[in-house]
Amino acid sequence: MTDWFEVLGRDGPGRLGELRIEPSLNTPAAVDDVVHDGGSLWSADREVPATAADRLTILPHRGMPTGTRAVVQEAFTPESPAVQGPTAVVVSPEMAANVGADAYVLSGLNGLMGDARRFIGAITSTRMAIPSDTALYAPGVATPATLPLMVYAGIDLVDRVAAEVAGMEGRYLLSDGASPIDQLTELPCACEVCVGQDPNELDRASIASHNVATLEAAIAHLRDRIRAGRLREYLEGQVRHIPWLTAGLRILDAEWGYLEPRTPVVRQGRLDFTTDDALRRVEVLRFAERVTQRFIPRLDDRPLVLLPCSRTKPYSDSPSHRDFREAIDYRAHIVSLTSPLGVVPDELELVYPAQHYEVAVTGRWSANERTQIADILASYLDRAEYPRIIAHVPAEGYRAVIEQAVEEIDGPPMTFTVDGHPRDEAALSALREALEGTMRYPLERRLDAIIRGIADVQFGEGAGDALFETPSISGRYPRLRVDEDGEQLATLVQQYGQLALTLAGAERWLTTAIPVRRVSIEAFVPHGSVLAPGVVEASDDIRVGDEVIVDGPTAFGVGRATMSGQEMVESSRGIAVDVRHVRERR
Amino acid sequence: MSQPSPEVYERGRGMDAHNLVMRELRGKRDDTYDPSEPTRVWLDEDHTPDGIQQSLTIILNTGGCRWARAGGCTMCGYVAESVEDGSVTTEQLAAQVEYCVEHERSQADSPAELIKIYTSGSFLDEREVGPETRELIAETFSDRTRIVVESLPDFVLADRLEPFLDAGLAVDVAIGLETASDRIRHDCVNKYFDFIDFEAACSTAADVGAGVKAYLLLKPPFLTEEEAIQDMIESIHRCADVPGCHTVSMNPCNVQRYTMVDELFYRGGYRPPWLWSVVEILEMTANADAIVVSDPVGHGSDRGPHNCGECDNRVYEAIKAFNLDQEPAIFDRLECDCLDTWTMVRHKETGYNQPLVD
Ligand code: SF4
Ligand SMILES: [Zn+2]
Ligand SMILES: [Zn+2]
Repeated sequence: MTDWFEVLGRDGPGRLGELRIEPSLNTPAAVDDVVHDGGSLWSADREVPATAADRLTILPHRGMPTGTRAVVQEAFTPESPAVQGPTAVVVSPEMAANVGADAYVLSGLNGLMGDARRFIGAITSTRMAIPSDTALYAPGVATPATLPLMVYAGIDLVDRVAAEVAGMEGRYLLSDGASPIDQLTELPCACEVCVGQDPNELDRASIASHNVATLEAAIAHLRDRIRAGRLREYLEGQVRHIPWLTAGLRILDAEWGYLEPRTPVVRQGRLDFTTDDALRRVEVLRFAERVTQRFIPRLDDRPLVLLPCSRTKPYSDSPSHRDFREAIDYRAHIVSLTSPLGVVPDELELVYPAQHYEVAVTGRWSANERTQIADILASYLDRAEYPRIIAHVPAEGYRAVIEQAVEEIDGPPMTFTVDGHPRDEAALSALREALEGTMRYPLERRLDAIIRGIADVQFGEGAGDALFETPSISGRYPRLRVDEDGEQLATLVQQYGQLALTLAGAERWLTTAIPVRRVSIEAFVPHGSVLAPGVVEASDDIRVGDEVIVDGPTAFGVGRATMSGQEMVESSRGIAVDVRHVRERR
Repeated sequence: MSQPSPEVYERGRGMDAHNLVMRELRGKRDDTYDPSEPTRVWLDEDHTPDGIQQSLTIILNTGGCRWARAGGCTMCGYVAESVEDGSVTTEQLAAQVEYCVEHERSQADSPAELIKIYTSGSFLDEREVGPETRELIAETFSDRTRIVVESLPDFVLADRLEPFLDAGLAVDVAIGLETASDRIRHDCVNKYFDFIDFEAACSTAADVGAGVKAYLLLKPPFLTEEEAIQDMIESIHRCADVPGCHTVSMNPCNVQRYTMVDELFYRGGYRPPWLWSVVEILEMTANADAIVVSDPVGHGSDRGPHNCGECDNRVYEAIKAFNLDQEPAIFDRLECDCLDTWTMVRHKETGYNQPLVD
């Protein structure tokens, strides 16, 4: 619990925050100028220094260099006194624990640079051991190259020390790494120090100044990326310059238990899938998992038509899909195949991130992509009962993937209707022909499947049938509202493909067996938002962007989570829920 | 209160933890040594209170330090050089002494004036070196001028020094004090005794007419470069002020196998001191009322005190020259780009970001 730090925004595990000293500092930030070191207890016994509102006081500490055994750490770790004012406590990855500080200084990171697994492990294990609303400071290791991965992993505070030291050693830093100054023919920078200079005229203090300027620019850039929700896109490209950082990102990606709770279910920015690492993104795996585990194919009494994805989103707006739909004419269930999401059933084309991504299109899929998509398609088909499959896809890439998947699960008979391009007249008439004699299904069935399918994905397996019995769906797709017994239950939010519940819808949720994402609050009636300190309890599985029920002794409401459930409980500041509807309880 | 005995090592959790780790690390050794040969013997020259003298340095293999058996000091791998079951007989020790005399005879034109005897422990501890061997050594070297014997302060007793004094030798006891700070000696070095025990040993020695040479450790683990420098300067001044302590030998920490320092070093948590720090300290303590020398063992290597690699030899030579003439002017001409890096490390290294550079 802290009054001196607040998380203002999140992008995956990366955070935008405010160190609330005077004047306040937007984080991620370099804190050299505001940190006051209370000194090492290895060399002397020390008094707890006086704190002040204009600085972050690091309490007297025993730093544990990398390689210090746990027994030694346990024996020497000092008690942390409770101190008023902004304070930071030095911890090691092994001994990190909540001791009531506003910030935690991670000692022993220096020895881990270059060791991707232990470096990432140190950050994530420490982050998990301390409250989520406190700042984590990585001292002495930030360079323009290492910074993005550190920030993405959950570091809030850094310093300029490593950049300065590198300068003194004659190493010129950029976001793609370091070069010894004597190996540069030109200076690839126009900062105050570098502009118009010759590399061999730069003295070491000047190199240090350039390094610091580059680091500061990198920090500002990262803040902006987090604000825009596009940190990950930058990171995937940037880490590629340095193998151990690339390894670090992959190792972090394997920490599902760390990343998933920190990844919003919807967010603003567009997702650019441009590297193979995008295949491991939480958004991608989560979508695939929800489509194959939660979503119920309700139109599988019809033939399945598999289509290629389109650049225009949602797919149904694209010229190619308009052609396909015209040929299909409501006689079959449409599922689009796409990398890296896998399969997108027609009902879910609005659901984040199905209409929010862009890929580098070449028509060729990597071996990793092929395997991932085939696996997703196989598990999707395994739960459906289509009488037959019509694969209306280009021969290259798609075809092998589909065959692999259908074979894997011993699926229904399959026809391929494309020889050249899927939009060729020949292909389109083959598609029409393949569906000849199949009955059209009514529009109401399609709308019903959309609403229930989205509910499955959003609230959990079976939610579509549990929440709605005989819904009447009105409006023109994609602007739909759901009523039942003359009462509105929900609206489809076109932008993210989510259902926004009304109070009646929320009450309906409580009567089902579908696990409720509940935020229990104290006795007040929230207007507009619930702040974290007002939260008594919150379900563990709440993620940013989730629909939640707000429930207290005097109020009942529904809204959208702006923190994870764990953060709501741990945080002492910040908005926990944007409340959409609320009523007073009596 | 001080409890100057290697047996009393229950000094709290910190010491227990250090000893536990050190015992485990030392247990990994499986090499043994021939107890009829000394661990090492070599010829050199040294700055003594009587000026520069030829020296014969002997490291006797005695079975090793009692404190090391309990776990012992975090940087010390010497115990490893001792025999496995810890017992070396009087006869074997006599053979080692004979070996050294032979070595000197074959290598030197004339007998060295100065004899230095170390044991990877305490020469004055009777469990390591019995009274017969002491007598034998006193007699063997009675024609020399000065003898230096190494010991923990507990064993500095009048009767143990007398054989050498009676043989007409000037006697110095080398005591591995490591630092004048009890806190650093306990928590970073894991050495059990206190500064007052060192003072007591100095006064015992002085009473019988012997001198003391204090061995100090530059940069024990867990200290920053700057803390290490300040600790050394302070320690040298405090030692120089103790009556009887006429020489201080500053030993920049080097990374010895099977030690905690080695483990930290291997994992990236320790960097030996800079040679610039040695120079800085020698300059800053030139006015101290004692001879201050330093032999940066392992200089220039990653595991020993080092600078950037370019200047290490030049700086080392200057330190060697200073050892002999105590003239700090020799350092004025030293220059290297890495001086700036070292200066920055002094300013920016903290307990939680160390080691800042390799
Ligand atoms: S430094 Fe001396 S006291 Fe410490 S373990 Fe080594 S030999 Fe024993
Ligand atoms: Zn520049
Ligand atoms: Zn140098």
